[in-house]
Amino acid sequence: MVEHLFIISIILYLVGALFALCLFKWQMVGNYVSFIFAAIASCLGIATAAMVLFNSSTIRLDFQLFLPVIKYNFLLDPLSSYFILAISVISFVASVYSIGYTRLYVNKRDVRFLGFTYNLFLMAMILVVSANNAFVFMIVWELMTLVSFFLVIFEHENPATRKAGLVYIVMAHIGSGLLAIAFFILLAYAGSFSFDSFRDVASQIPAVYKNIVFFLIIFGFGIKAGIFPLHLWLPMAHPAAPSNISMIMSGVMIKTAIYGFIRFYFEFLTPCPPWWGVIILIIGATSAILGILYALMERDIKTLLAYSSVENVGIILIGIGMSMIFKSYNQMALSSLAMIAGLYHLFNHAVFKCLLFGCAGNIYYSTHTKNIEELGGLIKRMQITAPLFLIGALSISAIPPLNGFISEWFIFQSLLNGFNIPSVIIKIITIICGAVVALTGALVATCFIKAFGISFLAIPRTKHAEKAKEVPVIMFISMGLLAALCVFMGLFPAKIMMIINHVNTQILGMNILKAVTSYDWLQMKIVRTNFTELSPKSATVFGLILLGITLGALFLMRPKFIRKFYETWTCGIAPEPRLEYTATAFTKPFKVVFSNLYKPRLEVNTTYSVPNFFVKSIAYVGEITPIFEKYLYNPVSNFVLRISDKARLIHAGNIHLYLAYIFITLLILIMFFR
Amino acid sequence: MSLTSNIILPILQLIVIVGLSPLVKGFINKIEARFQCRRGPSLFQPYYNLIKLLRKDAVVSETASWIFRATPYVTFVSILVIALLVPVLSSCVPLNFTGDVILIIYLFALGRFFLALSSLDTASAFGGMGGSREMMISSMAEPAMMLSVFTVSLTVGTTNLGNITSAFLNSSTLLLNPSLFLAFAALCIVIIAETGRIPIDNPFTHLELTMVHEGMVLEFSGRYLALIEWASGMKLLILLTILVNTFLPWGVASGLTFTGLIISFALYVVKIGFFAFLIAILESSFAKLRLFRIPNLLGTAFILSILAIISLYVVG
Repeated sequence: MVEHLFIISIILYLVGALFALCLFKWQMVGNYVSFIFAAIASCLGIATAAMVLFNSSTIRLDFQLFLPVIKYNFLLDPLSSYFILAISVISFVASVYSIGYTRLYVNKRDVRFLGFTYNLFLMAMILVVSANNAFVFMIVWELMTLVSFFLVIFEHENPATRKAGLVYIVMAHIGSGLLAIAFFILLAYAGSFSFDSFRDVASQIPAVYKNIVFFLIIFGFGIKAGIFPLHLWLPMAHPAAPSNISMIMSGVMIKTAIYGFIRFYFEFLTPCPPWWGVIILIIGATSAILGILYALMERDIKTLLAYSSVENVGIILIGIGMSMIFKSYNQMALSSLAMIAGLYHLFNHAVFKCLLFGCAGNIYYSTHTKNIEELGGLIKRMQITAPLFLIGALSISAIPPLNGFISEWFIFQSLLNGFNIPSVIIKIITIICGAVVALTGALVATCFIKAFGISFLAIPRTKHAEKAKEVPVIMFISMGLLAALCVFMGLFPAKIMMIINHVNTQILGMNILKAVTSYDWLQMKIVRTNFTELSPKSATVFGLILLGITLGALFLMRPKFIRKFYETWTCGIAPEPRLEYTATAFTKPFKVVFSNLYKPRLEVNTTYSVPNFFVKSIAYVGEITPIFEKYLYNPVSNFVLRISDKARLIHAGNIHLYLAYIFITLLILIMFFR
Repeated sequence: MSLTSNIILPILQLIVIVGLSPLVKGFINKIEARFQCRRGPSLFQPYYNLIKLLRKDAVVSETASWIFRATPYVTFVSILVIALLVPVLSSCVPLNFTGDVILIIYLFALGRFFLALSSLDTASAFGGMGGSREMMISSMAEPAMMLSVFTVSLTVGTTNLGNITSAFLNSSTLLLNPSLFLAFAALCIVIIAETGRIPIDNPFTHLELTMVHEGMVLEFSGRYLALIEWASGMKLLILLTILVNTFLPWGVASGLTFTGLIISFALYVVKIGFFAFLIAILESSFAKLRLFRIPNLLGTAFILSILAIISLYVVG
């Protein structure tokens, strides 16, 4: 039953893709059909995942197609189903959203291949998390990278987009190459590409090779996940893609790398030494803080969201890293707790980041700009998008009672539990990570106050923003679903933990659901750890009661309360957009405080009509130095370019010379492999 | 715990926090006035102000949206919820299960989030300036706050404020831990920063370029202003309550007896009064710091709290 559902959903993705191709003459129809197929397929994906998770079952699918040697193995276990669930939920929302969003391109550009690549992309992600064979995994991983590359360069007439695509494809392939090496090392011990054999030989691989594989995986999957300093492509590619694609890329594609981390570190490379977990933890904390510090300085709303994805991947990795540390000290209950923190945050991030990218898409749809300095006052013009963005912003800033808070709370709880670790150094590292998470949380709030406040509040700064109109209804329906999920996952954490618990039971062999949930005297289900308890539901109920009392008391104080509306006092002149605080100004204090990191550059060019007396114009340029690009990537890429320049000498363009090369190579090969 | 105590205690806590918070402000103002050789306004002046404001209509900026009008309620109610989560007179907090100190910190963030948004909402430059600075200060304060709270939590083994207080009440030798002194010092600095007192922020100034919190709430009037002022008063009182009932829990009732609560209340007033007096001394003897010196001070708090944790792990 479940396997049929799974296969049907894959087939539907393929059919949708083919429809898009067949109907290429009627571009929009083709796209709509393919999006509808994708939406149905993702519903089936949700059903598949739910069935596997609730039965805690494991389902194997083996095919033998085309080539006799290679088996196509797929495995649906709770871990992969959890990811299928996340991917399918986001795919469904994004597909419905796309039906509205693609109207942006009507009569503007060729969208023939959008539906085709889109469906293949969704299908590839589902297959990545369900592949049970290194060979199949690499194929679908590559497929995912390639189709997402085509989606990134969708607006290819823009040179910045082409550059983003190039950086993405190059970095993604470096990652794939490292993964391939890791798989070959495992193959040498397992004797087959099947993940099952990798699991069997997990304990027999010598420590040295394990460590090598560990680092290969960090880099290989780390590039896809966008951890610092391998994040370079992420803030370039995600904003370049159309918003419906960014939703999926930021929401779930980067999570497939997290899936890879979990598969490897908890199944193929067990038992892992504690320092592995510490490295993951430190990488997570660094990505979190640096990601949000760069997001803070961004003025392009989609780049801001992309940097914030780097931050959130960091938070997820903190959870995973803690889980690994606890596991290596054999504290399985704590390991499960940290895993809950990581996986909860993973789902949360998928939901609110998709919501925020959707809202960014709405803004772009109606104003044609992504620069928040050109926006303002949208709350009165886009009355439904604004509250949706606000819910997303509150969730991502971990404000209770929304979902972000729950996972942040679990992260803090698992970091606090670091005192159970025997090593003093690791204890101290966990606590410093706690401080980093706290700082990150505060910076996220600032960043999203800026994003929401500057783009939605006050007076429009440009004509674009002034003329903004609300987007088609279909785009809200899907995002309303996400906003509802944000609230639901914030109020009923025990429900989500029940799902994650199935994953824990599978990969850690530990069922801690009884230990982390209980009932209070109001008979409400609450979550708890060895430190404390939390009941967002009753906190909300009390908040609402108190709100009611406050409103009642205020009414009694002055029953005929009225509000008078006047213009804001701006020292005697009429309020105008120029007087508003800008995004740059809002984050200026942070630029000063963290100037060591940002290395801000300031340039003021004054031109005079009469020298030194009458100023004609002042040009002001203030930027931050992208230190990773400048000190890490540029030297490396320059080095590679120099080497390839040298290597060009042997490309003389003479066919006889090339034949000679082939002949020499052949001779050498014959000599060595007689 | 019986149902009556479950109902009486929260109400009592709300009454104490809501009722006493203007008095704390009035007390600080009075003491500062005395230091400046003025007679100063009455102790109860903040109450008169609140009542006056609550009876007035409000003037709202044309550019402002519903965010601006919702902010006072969100801020006020979030602080009220926090008031239910903090042990005030008795160490058994009836709503213990609802959340812990992490929830409290993030509920403060909820109020701040909306205040900062509404500071941008009116299109006035002063608002944005205030909001931006407030976020900078609170972001810098957050790690130190979290770590000092963690130090206490790790000493006791819980992040629940009620349980922390009762654990310290049960064995007061726990309080002699040297790391707690460091955490206490760090938390003091953080509280000064979070409540916007001198030397971080001057609550009395209305000079454009020096306003932080005041700049943020500049556009509010009438009922809205009353709610925000009251909320900020309660925030001060709640943070002081957390400080005294965590580090100096002596006299806090552990049950719910009438005499116990009376003694607890008397001692509570004395302790809060003492700290309010200290704030008054501090405010009278220091000038406001330059904005970009504040991170240094908060950095000190952060280092203190890191040392607290390290000493806890290494020594304890």
